[in-house]
Amino acid sequence: METQMQTAHLTDEQLTDLLMGENPPAVREHLDACAACAQEAERFSGAIGAFQQETRLWAERRAASLPRLTADREAAFAWWHRPQAWMAAALAIALAAGVGFSIHNSHERGVQQQVIAKVAVPPVVTAETLKADNELLAAIDGELRADSSTPASEYGLNGTLRRGRSRSAARSTNE
Amino acid sequence: MQLILNPAIIGCVPDEAPLTELDDIEALDRIYRSRLLRFVAYSTGDQDLAETIVQDCLLKAYNGRASFRGDCSVYTWLAHIATNLMRDHQRTRKFQFWRMVQKTAPDLSEMGFLLPSRESSVETQMMARERAQQVSAALEDLSANQRTIFLMRFIEEMDLQEICQATGMQTSTVKTHLHRAVKAVRQKLGGQI
Repeated sequence: METQMQTAHLTDEQLTDLLMGENPPAVREHLDACAACAQEAERFSGAIGAFQQETRLWAERRAASLPRLTADREAAFAWWHRPQAWMAAALAIALAAGVGFSIHNSHERGVQQQVIAKVAVPPVVTAETLKADNELLAAIDGELRADSSTPASEYGLNGTLRRGRSRSAARSTNE
Repeated sequence: MQLILNPAIIGCVPDEAPLTELDDIEALDRIYRSRLLRFVAYSTGDQDLAETIVQDCLLKAYNGRASFRGDCSVYTWLAHIATNLMRDHQRTRKFQFWRMVQKTAPDLSEMGFLLPSRESSVETQMMARERAQQVSAALEDLSANQRTIFLMRFIEEMDLQEICQATGMQTSTVKTHLHRAVKAVRQKLGGQI
């Protein structure tokens, strides 16, 4: 096994185990003897170390620019994690929507009933009313016939009209 | 005459759990936010989503601190909560198209700063950043599980047992994901062997 380790490079599994922190004596010996494997392990570790440092700096800067969580803020967000609060909110919304829908419906129903009432209810006219109305109309008609005054007579124009009429009558008799 | 000590008088209350950072939301936020943000941002590849998940994670941990049994570290417990939140999000297939469009991946190149360092030259720092970007690009090609486990092991430096506790996976499953992830990243980095 040791001979094989000296001649061949580390397998993927051995390298991975090494990078994961496992460092058995056989692998350690191989690394001492094989520059390629030692360089490979060093290259990977160096890249991971660089990534670790760069991302740590990035995260620290980013986190520092964000608003901090405080007890007040936690209280403000506490309802977010309470299922009862969500249920209550959902119930309130459902109730509000239900009440609104009900009001809307009842309003529409009322309007429809009014329209139906206007169309459906006929005017109440009895025979007596009809008779009284006819008598009133007949009386008005009679009074109008009896009154000889005309709109022209109210302005004193009756004489002129009569004179005009007599002149034309005389002209027609002369002809 | 026998003296009897009253715990209330001497300020000692037995059978009461000691106060930890879980009992202080501000301490929880201060200690773990940046670490969780890095883990979630590189697991999901979306920094805006990561901020939301981390905030949700911290609030969940604080509100559910009574359920923390103390059989693992606080960070492992937080990583477990964050992993579940990420899984929940992955299950939600709705709006995935829009998330792809709006995704804001953490970009190391946009950090736009080279910290003055007495230990390394600008050239060394540039090389380090380039290697970091190669790892970042390699992570994008991993599956979600491989990426999460790889980050837990190599970036968060959690051991196998902690990874198993955080992910709820068997040790053999974690090892398999880890082997595949390391192999893929090595190949992306131009493995020589």
